[in-house]
Amino acid sequence: MKQNRVKILLIVVITIVSVWSLYPTYRDYALTKKIESLASSRDSLQFLLDHRNEIEQAREKSLKLGLDLKGGMHLVMEVDLLDLIDQKAWNKDERFYRIMANVKSRSANSGANVVDLLASEFRKENVRLSRYFYDIRNSDREIVDKLNKEAQDALSRAKEVIRNRIDQYGVAEPVIQAQGTRRLIIELSGVTDEARVRKLLKGTAKLEFKLLKDRETLLRTLDRINTTLSQSDAAGAAPDSAFAGMPPTGADSLVQKSASFRPLFEVADEYSRDYVASLLAREDVRALLPQDTELLLSAKPDENVKGEKFYSLFLVKKSPELTGGVITEAKATFGSQNVQPEVLMEMNSEGTAKWARITGANIGKRIAIVLDGVVYSAPVVQSKIPNGNSVINGISSLEEAKDLEIILKAGALPAPVRIIEERTVGPSLGSDYIRAGMLSIIWGFTAVALFMIVYYHKAGIAADLALVLNILIVISVLAGFSAALTLPGIAGIVLTMGMAVDANVLIYERIREELDEGKQLKLAVDTGYKKAFSSIFDSHVTTLSAAFLLYVYGIGPIQGFAVTLMIGTAASLFTAIVVTRLIFDLLLGTSFMNEKSFG
Amino acid sequence: MRILHATSFNFIKHRKIAYGISLLLLVSGMISLAVRGLNYGIDFKGGSEVVIRFEKNADVGRVRSIINDAGLQGVIKQYGLARSFLLRTDFQGETSTLKSLVSGSLRDGLPGNPHEIVSIQAVGPSIASDLKWSAMKALLAALAAILLYVGIRFEIKFATAGVIAIFHDVLTVLGLFSLLGGVSDFMPLEIDQSIIAAFLTIAGYSITDTVVVYDRIRERIKGQRPSDYEKIFNESINQTLSRTVITSGTLLLAIIVLFIFAGPAIRGFAFAMFFGVLVGTYSSIFVAAPIVLDWQRRSKAPIKLRGAA
Repeated sequence: MKQNRVKILLIVVITIVSVWSLYPTYRDYALTKKIESLASSRDSLQFLLDHRNEIEQAREKSLKLGLDLKGGMHLVMEVDLLDLIDQKAWNKDERFYRIMANVKSRSANSGANVVDLLASEFRKENVRLSRYFYDIRNSDREIVDKLNKEAQDALSRAKEVIRNRIDQYGVAEPVIQAQGTRRLIIELSGVTDEARVRKLLKGTAKLEFKLLKDRETLLRTLDRINTTLSQSDAAGAAPDSAFAGMPPTGADSLVQKSASFRPLFEVADEYSRDYVASLLAREDVRALLPQDTELLLSAKPDENVKGEKFYSLFLVKKSPELTGGVITEAKATFGSQNVQPEVLMEMNSEGTAKWARITGANIGKRIAIVLDGVVYSAPVVQSKIPNGNSVINGISSLEEAKDLEIILKAGALPAPVRIIEERTVGPSLGSDYIRAGMLSIIWGFTAVALFMIVYYHKAGIAADLALVLNILIVISVLAGFSAALTLPGIAGIVLTMGMAVDANVLIYERIREELDEGKQLKLAVDTGYKKAFSSIFDSHVTTLSAAFLLYVYGIGPIQGFAVTLMIGTAASLFTAIVVTRLIFDLLLGTSFMNEKSFG
Repeated sequence: MRILHATSFNFIKHRKIAYGISLLLLVSGMISLAVRGLNYGIDFKGGSEVVIRFEKNADVGRVRSIINDAGLQGVIKQYGLARSFLLRTDFQGETSTLKSLVSGSLRDGLPGNPHEIVSIQAVGPSIASDLKWSAMKALLAALAAILLYVGIRFEIKFATAGVIAIFHDVLTVLGLFSLLGGVSDFMPLEIDQSIIAAFLTIAGYSITDTVVVYDRIRERIKGQRPSDYEKIFNESINQTLSRTVITSGTLLLAIIVLFIFAGPAIRGFAFAMFFGVLVGTYSSIFVAAPIVLDWQRRSKAPIKLRGAA
């Protein structure tokens, strides 16, 4: 009897803890319902203000719903470590680019460590890494270690930068995790403007201040490009002359583009911007530029009186005078003279000193403000700027200015990032999933519980009580550890219901066997529990280990399934054995239970 | 109520028939795998999927022609939700372009029937190949873990036979997926992450029924002569038959509920689980224990089981 008292206590404590951990979920639900029921928005605002703390606390501790149920974005982003490695290399030559291309193609199809791939490609070519990286005296091992360290830093820096950006954009409870050597998993619930978030996350925000070359040099350079290209392209286009007589159709547009060269001017109209950009990216075009210069396009077109839009071309010094690393503060505002949005920036002391020197030395010249490779503005330096202030204008909307502010404040990413996986679920589909999940749980429970009662009579009721406690434990553990409930997680709960009663089936079948042999009820129950235990234990261990491996190797939603399956299976060891046993122990002596109670 | 009470089927005597059936299942699955291959979802081959839901019923041909006219290379199919379609295209890093293209063209093409893009998924090729690897690793690790555990708890012959039975179950379901993959839009039976979850769950669950039979054999075999093994094996299977069937039955009930109510995202998973559990129950009775017996006859040494009471 004393043992039973311990069991009762244990069950009561577990039940109370479960209910207690689910109480905030109930409160959260009730409060939300209450707010919805209030007639006027003034009433609901008043209610919100009055119960602010309570609502916040309830929400914080309530059962979290996964992205698939609530709606939101799941992103996997990859930090371009190849770009980082490229930044670190020097003495780059043809062989280096060839090796890098190989590494790139190999890394595109696997998640293997890029630095290891690089090392193995270098070994294959029989080239020492020190030929291109760090100190010539370093061994390959040392360089691999250093590069790995750099890569690791880049990933954690990227994570930090992205976290800053998301925090400033304002998303509730974002999840940002590093995965492997170059990936970040980002989960944002309830995001409405996905396009904007995507842009915000990806923006490298490489801000550079570059000196503009004078107009004569620009014109001379364009002229040189035009003459060279029209000659070479005319020669190259000759075999394509078969197309000459055909009218240009949409399908041939690609052929047309490469066959006919269109000359470059100081400005490009809005339709030819992409074409000009593709020309500027060409290696042979770049080779025609003067030493240490590059041609850039403007970010936004200018409009002439007729309403036609033109992008400008800028010839700038390639090495920047100053980079965005010195920016400490950024603020999006509307400019003073016009209603154009702009971003005001402040620099740290080092940047301020440099900026003063640069502006002082270049009065009357133009400095281009370049962000991610396009020119936002190229103001003429009027006077020396001693206080480290600068402005980005030429921004098309206040929203864009705000995002720029966020990106500049959060700092630049160490290397470009790419989105390699994206899963977005809209809130309407989410609420469909919730309904489907609830229906599955209700019907799953009804089916299994009814079956147990029909087949095992009163003992079935005991198993059903244990099943209720089992589900309660699963949900409360999820809520208690702030693990999110997903649709696969709900599937896991439903499956658990089907599996959790297995232990009872094994026990009851054994008890029936013992009863058939003519044993006394009490002895039969005793033996039944004892003899069934080893197979119950073994089957739980195998199911648990499969679920555990699923958790380890699975990702995202599947982990949610594995978690509920694990909790449910583990909990059923307790509920199906201890709880039902206690019920029998308490009732066996009474008239409530007899041999017929096991069906 | 009792089903399959005190049966005396001669499972062991007719085991060759069962082996034949299993072999047939496996071989036809293998042939289908070789000829038809598997219908991989975007999780494993990369690509983008957009689910579009309309307010009113829309004709799939009309939607398809609108999408194709917009210049999108992709497949449009009916989706397992009401008034919904699934668009599948190659992977695009930028789903915003895809989204605006789809929205714009459908708004213009079907002005009287507003739509909503309820979900977008895009998986890049590198992620896809990583997922394949993790799935393989998880399955192999699960099999190794089960082999080890059952080996420790029983004996290596029992463990090996159990793992063979798991292989049998998973391969049969895989063959079924290959055979029926892509046949129905209602249930395309694509291999995606949820199917891997199903396989692992099947692996973990298939062995539970087997363990119940093993447990009974262990209980009864101690001190018996090898000549009686056949009788003991057969009786053990018969004695545990009702519980093997009922434990699977309760799980099948839950799975059927999932299949009916949980929506298109879970349907393939429920389908895999349903047949996995069915085949798993069959293999516990007809494959695992008979293999142990055949193996035992060849090795001639008496069975020494750990933990025998």
